[in-house]
Amino acid sequence: MMVLEIIEYIIRLILSPPIFAPIIYPGLVTVLVILLSIIWVERKIAAKVQLRYGPLYVSKPIGGALQMLADATRFFFQEIIVPRDADSIAFLIAPAASLVLPLLPIVFVPAAPSFVAISVEYSLPLVLAISALTPIVIIVMAWAANNKFTIIGGIREAFMVIAYELSLFISALAMAIFYGTLNLEDIVSMQKSLPGVILNPLAAITFFVAMVMATSRLPFDIVEGEQEIVAGPFTEYTGILYGLVMGAGYVQLYILCLVFVELFLSGWYPYIGLLGEIYPALGGVSLFIKAYLLMVFIVFLRSVYGRYRLDQAISIGWKSLLPLSLASVFLSLGLLAAGVVI
Amino acid sequence: MSILSSVKRHIDAISTGLKYLFASSRMTVRYPEYSITLRDNYRGMIRYYKDKCISCSLCARICPADAIKMYRKAGEKKMYPGINYQRCIFCGFCVSICPADALEHTPVHDIAWESLEEMIFPPEEFGREWVSPALEEGARRVKAVFDEKRGLTHVPE
Repeated sequence: MMVLEIIEYIIRLILSPPIFAPIIYPGLVTVLVILLSIIWVERKIAAKVQLRYGPLYVSKPIGGALQMLADATRFFFQEIIVPRDADSIAFLIAPAASLVLPLLPIVFVPAAPSFVAISVEYSLPLVLAISALTPIVIIVMAWAANNKFTIIGGIREAFMVIAYELSLFISALAMAIFYGTLNLEDIVSMQKSLPGVILNPLAAITFFVAMVMATSRLPFDIVEGEQEIVAGPFTEYTGILYGLVMGAGYVQLYILCLVFVELFLSGWYPYIGLLGEIYPALGGVSLFIKAYLLMVFIVFLRSVYGRYRLDQAISIGWKSLLPLSLASVFLSLGLLAAGVVI
Repeated sequence: MSILSSVKRHIDAISTGLKYLFASSRMTVRYPEYSITLRDNYRGMIRYYKDKCISCSLCARICPADAIKMYRKAGEKKMYPGINYQRCIFCGFCVSICPADALEHTPVHDIAWESLEEMIFPPEEFGREWVSPALEEGARRVKAVFDEKRGLTHVPE
């Protein structure tokens, strides 16, 4: 009888939102599945557009979908080399921090109605503020490796941050002004009938482009810049440390996609009540589907665009995105003044 | 106006990408299972016929990469060519210049060696017949066809 009670207690503990949300969905386990699948999807899409096959020979019957698992296993068994001139403590800590910091906002992102690990009134600015910490870690990484390519990459990251961050925040706040709340859950619940992208397309476009810049996806992978500076700040990393820093960009992409869907694509609506009765988080599965499709679209851009130069990206940030984001604020104010009520 | 035209160009780029993603056939073949049959005059591995050779050493002289060298056996007067595939650039000069047609190209190119020493072929081994390892393991032969609609594709023979 005692054993059964303990098992029941453990199951109840795992299924309680403060544990389930950060650990299973939308947290760690989901992130791992996304990391393993989205890189494969990215490579497959790029291969199809370029008329090739892409990864195939690991697990042939399912089109090489386990390729990333094989790569991750290889990373684990590779030697980790710390350069002699590197600042070894910062060099070793930075990759772990670069994966943890983008993952941290997940505790504030609601996955279904009233299903969130830590419920706060100001979840939108909190999520954006925490995800804005990642560039600091990347600059630390660049400095610690003590290599000319990493330094150039780190400086590029610093330049990129000032180019996109302001527009990212202002366009997100434009939606907050319109809905009159900074709570992501309230913002989603107000989009039940009409998604935010229809009301304020300017903010959606600005947030989207700034999001692609923030996560260093093409056409803005200036920081990594394979063709010029090897791998930018990640040049000196080997083995699982490289695996961590490579995954960090995708984790940030996932979090920002979740925020984008909650701000502009009406979050977990249409809510599936039948699944929601089984477990509340399952009802919001459309949030995950929309975020995943958005990620697939963003990784698809890799095969369409070439890379912008650093100066072009910065001028896009200051000359196009910033005015657009300010215009989106005025659009929100105009909608409020015109009496548009959701 | 410039904003509108740049928006149009972005949409064009993305729709072209989508077109290739959904409506294109692949140009490459899955190599060890499928092997592309090459045309007869393909400049692949070089085969040497010792019985035709007149030991003129023109092949060794014309070779721009110094890959062909004349070998003399102890006690023999005549010299015969041997090849070093570390150096060969498959230009085909030796095949063209040979007055006795003792050298010819084979349409086999997918050969690999484990060490550099194995890539040197004295006259006795220069005459060996080359077989594609993929075909040896039962790869299906395909040939390249150019289709107006689908572009470059491969069809089974």
